[in-house]
Amino acid sequence: MDGFYKKEKFNFISLLPIFLLFFISLNGNSVVDLIYFSISIHYIIVYYWILRKPETLGYGFIFISGIITDVIYGSPLGVNALSLLIIAAVAAYVRAVTVKITLITDWISFIPALLITNFIYFLSVYFSNYPVDYLFILKNSISTFIFYPVLWVFFSIIFNFLKS
Amino acid sequence: MDTNREDISIAIRSAFLSKGTKQRFSLLALIIISTILIFIEKIETKPLNYVRLLINDTIFKSSSVASLPYKGINTITKKTKNHFNLYDNYNELKIENSELKNNILKNNFLELENTQLRKLIDEQTSSKSNFVSARVMLDNKSPYINSFIINAGSNKKIKNGKAVLSGKNFVGRIVDVNYFSSRVLLVTDLNSKIAIITEPSGHHALLSGHGEKKPTLEYLPKDHSVRDGNKVYTSGKEGVFAPGIPIGSVKIEKNIIKVLLFSNLSQITFVNIAIKDLTESK
Repeated sequence: MDGFYKKEKFNFISLLPIFLLFFISLNGNSVVDLIYFSISIHYIIVYYWILRKPETLGYGFIFISGIITDVIYGSPLGVNALSLLIIAAVAAYVRAVTVKITLITDWISFIPALLITNFIYFLSVYFSNYPVDYLFILKNSISTFIFYPVLWVFFSIIFNFLKS
Repeated sequence: MDTNREDISIAIRSAFLSKGTKQRFSLLALIIISTILIFIEKIETKPLNYVRLLINDTIFKSSSVASLPYKGINTITKKTKNHFNLYDNYNELKIENSELKNNILKNNFLELENTQLRKLIDEQTSSKSNFVSARVMLDNKSPYINSFIINAGSNKKIKNGKAVLSGKNFVGRIVDVNYFSSRVLLVTDLNSKIAIITEPSGHHALLSGHGEKKPTLEYLPKDHSVRDGNKVYTSGKEGVFAPGIPIGSVKIEKNIIKVLLFSNLSQITFVNIAIKDLTESK
């Protein structure tokens, strides 16, 4: 009985990243847009979990979550899915080339990840004839980068719980 | 040097090509599918449109169910706030009520005078628009588009470009119609440009959204006499919307002519959609 309880608890916690990914997509909270800040929670979730524990987030789930975000936000179908997959690809690459993972290394490697992703996002929106808000992209990149350690700490608690 | 290059290519291959740790799909394959989807989005064919409608309707329904707890918490918070502001609201309403009572007498006279004058110039006084009511399903704030989703689509004969009203006030137009749902582009959106007329100055202009709460008036004549408090109505000049739908009142801030909307866009629950407009009634 005790073993079953522990296994169920582990299963629930290991599903938490997927649950969060879909919850924010369906609720339209992928980007928290305030007056001076605009944080892409979606990017942070995908980057962190692909970097630390890729088996918790399937690429297929990331793709579907991106499609949901596209429909909810009214952006061209595939734009957010592509952005999320690009950030997952950068995270997978960083995971393959780094040995020790710390907040600083994660944070620094998040800069090129954000730059590449937002560049791809800009290209796909531009070629879909949608208006591009350059200021929003800049604001979003900077705020997401600044906010990364906050979610890193929160996710690390879940990660350590899963490890133990 | 060669070893370095090999390391990089191995890392790239492991990131993109191999399915890796318990992954069912290759990252590269999904990236290619996403890119194809972006290109397909531009193609307008019947089968593709049906697939799009199906995807949109399914996701909108799922989203409205998933956001129920979130909405519930918001409602409780708002109700608690309203409860604490009850006394202040009562006093405000008392003052407003006495002002409105005074205005009713003035309005009755103006309405009578208006009808007589319209008869004099043989203008049609009754509106030919037919309305369909719908409930706001999703009003998530998107950083890309100022819009909300309503629970009526082509099943209620809604078409692209139709005017959307909250009560009697203009709030936006339909931009995307699915079978059971539609997307309303609000007047505050970057892409929204509405032909308007100001009252009492009578100038024609364009109401242009900027993604902020207050849209602005553009293309006004240089010698215009628009002042704070002037009312803004649809002019019907573009031949789509009926003329005279109230939108808001003018508020000049730092020499920019902004429009304070009559409807609070974040508080809309039900809307009316004009399914017959000028072009069809002609």
